[in-house]
Amino acid sequence: MNKKKLLIALAGNANVGKSVIFNYLTGLHQHIGNWPGKTVERAEGTLHFKGYTIDIVDLPGIYSLSTYSLEELVSRKYIAVERPDLVINVADASVLERNLFFTLQLIELETPMIMALNQMDMAKNKGIEIDVRKLEELLGIPVVPTVATKGVGISQLLEKAIEAIEKGQTTRRKIRYGEEIEERITKVAEMIERIQFWYPPRYVAIKLLEGDEEITREISRIDPQIAFAAEKLANEIENLHGHSCSTVITSERYEVAGCVARQAQKIVTPTKPPLAERLHTMTTNKIAGYPIMASVLLLMFYSVFTFGNHASEFINNFLYGWKPFFANIFGEGIVGKLVWGGVIEGLIASVTIALPYIVPFYVILYLLEDSGYLSRIAFLMDNAMHKIGLHGKAFIPMMLGYGCNVPACLGCRIMETKRERVLAAFVTTLVPCAARTVIILGLVGQFLGVQWALMLYVVDLLVIFALGRLAFKTLPGEPTALIMEMHDYRMPHLKTVLKQTWFRLAEFIKIAFPLIIVGSLAIKLAEVLGLLEPIATVLSPVTVMWLGLPAITGITLIFGVLRKELTLIMLATLLGTTNFAQVLTPVQMIVFTLVAMFYIPCIATISALVKELGWKKALFITVFEIFFALTIGGIASRLLVLV
Amino acid sequence: MERRDSERREVPLTAVRDGETGTVSSIKTGHGKGWGRGWGFEKRLMDMGLTPGTRVTVVKSAPFHGPLEILVRGSRLALGRGMAERIFVEIEKE
Repeated sequence: MNKKKLLIALAGNANVGKSVIFNYLTGLHQHIGNWPGKTVERAEGTLHFKGYTIDIVDLPGIYSLSTYSLEELVSRKYIAVERPDLVINVADASVLERNLFFTLQLIELETPMIMALNQMDMAKNKGIEIDVRKLEELLGIPVVPTVATKGVGISQLLEKAIEAIEKGQTTRRKIRYGEEIEERITKVAEMIERIQFWYPPRYVAIKLLEGDEEITREISRIDPQIAFAAEKLANEIENLHGHSCSTVITSERYEVAGCVARQAQKIVTPTKPPLAERLHTMTTNKIAGYPIMASVLLLMFYSVFTFGNHASEFINNFLYGWKPFFANIFGEGIVGKLVWGGVIEGLIASVTIALPYIVPFYVILYLLEDSGYLSRIAFLMDNAMHKIGLHGKAFIPMMLGYGCNVPACLGCRIMETKRERVLAAFVTTLVPCAARTVIILGLVGQFLGVQWALMLYVVDLLVIFALGRLAFKTLPGEPTALIMEMHDYRMPHLKTVLKQTWFRLAEFIKIAFPLIIVGSLAIKLAEVLGLLEPIATVLSPVTVMWLGLPAITGITLIFGVLRKELTLIMLATLLGTTNFAQVLTPVQMIVFTLVAMFYIPCIATISALVKELGWKKALFITVFEIFFALTIGGIASRLLVLV
Repeated sequence: MERRDSERREVPLTAVRDGETGTVSSIKTGHGKGWGRGWGFEKRLMDMGLTPGTRVTVVKSAPFHGPLEILVRGSRLALGRGMAERIFVEIEKE
């Protein structure tokens, strides 16, 4: 065995500062990907210390190791199957009892581990004092107090980690359940010992008694007798206690967690509620909460769009300045047209959306998330989101959608179940992104007045509501309700925020850029080969007869697949004027904008959908939206003429 | 025991007034239609610490029948109304 290579996993609840510790440990040597075949994030990094090369994996933030969510399943399998040399359990000192509940489950998994007791400063502010030595003694594992945001305790943590690996662990606390349960755990564990299984026997026994879906399924496949026997024993416990066996075991585990917490901590309630507490009360207030939320969001959109517009224009001008340079190299012939109009313009399109809008959007969003405000927004918006079968958390990707649908679709991962991810992603593609805002404001807003532009936004909200509700009613499966921890407000950690932004940006570039460039090349090729006019003619029954638009819009709508605002830019190019009032009637403007808003997710969004939901669902959403947009456009063109 | 029984009042968490504290007595998972049911639903609540016998304080609820803000095991949770309706607590009488 190569002693010089080590594997360490970070595990813990959400919002305990795990990623901050991860960043401190790995610095720039890290990358974020997905777990194989799963849409669960996997952050990995490398670190060199005392002659060791240490791979560090940051597991998703979870509260338990059951199979409620994908994240929990992935984490549990990782620890049991990959067998890291050490698990560092990052725990929040200010919410000790809840965090210990997770620690106890790690201990049950019988993995070598130490604890980083983080956010000691926040605990102190809340009047919580923790006796670290006592905690070590009670848990039987080394505990290192840390304040990750200030870098306090990180090197001690690393020292302790290496020490624990080198020494190997022996003592640790075992949770002793009640006698009647222990007896049955032993019975099942004895049966498990006879078969080959990747989790420790005692752990499997406990999970079988708890009725864990994954483990019961796996064991039934190996030996249905064991699963059957376990179910019978679980029923016995249920009869003894009057609660399900899973409830009894979880209760007892929490009992132990509470007992350890009470013995290790001393609480002195501060006389004046700390600032974080007062902020919480204010921002979740029944009346004041909403105006505060509206102001925060408006300020966010305002700054993102102001910054984005300027930066976008600047980058655009800068990049177009290179046009003569390329013309010189590749000439003005077909090759030159393809290189510039296909590849480079595609690239410019990607850069001018990605950098100016997405970057500030992400920075602000992560600042809000890290500080704790996003969970308050989810709290305030939960009820509204329920109307379309989602809960409060879905409001977050929807907000992202106003910037760009691509990160918004990727952001739907925060939803717990697959069904909700599909629902949220679908709704998100209907949110008017920055590019669609350009069309709405640039065409309708400019030529018909702001009130008509606003009306289109209202129509959009109604469509989101109606289609969201329809999808919610037709998608099989049950909705889940909101259950979310609202951790105390804290200063966001800027470095972590910037790093997260960078990873999101990298992800966007990887997904969207190749497709936008290929798509742009294909369309340019069609143009060069003179295929655009025939295509416009083929589409004219739809565009001219059904929608009542000029035939030329067929071409612009094709370009819009690359990037929605191209529909407007191409319209200007093809019609040879930016004074659209001369060439389009007001009704045509509204119909055109309506269709452009809904007709198809842009190519980058489609690829994000494919990545998150798979080909089938992405295709379905795309085709559905084409038909939906044409329907609504056709109806609007007939109704609006009457007005 | 009997005297305590006559005093005890078992109500869903949604009926607890702001600022009041109760002890979780049972969770109705039920069957048929509704927000979440079965193993996943109950297990989730348990995992978040809402086990029978746990003290829960309702801080407030969001307007328009929104979620509840509760304090449980030293931490603050937002709990959807659909879930809260199925959690039954005994109110502590002062």
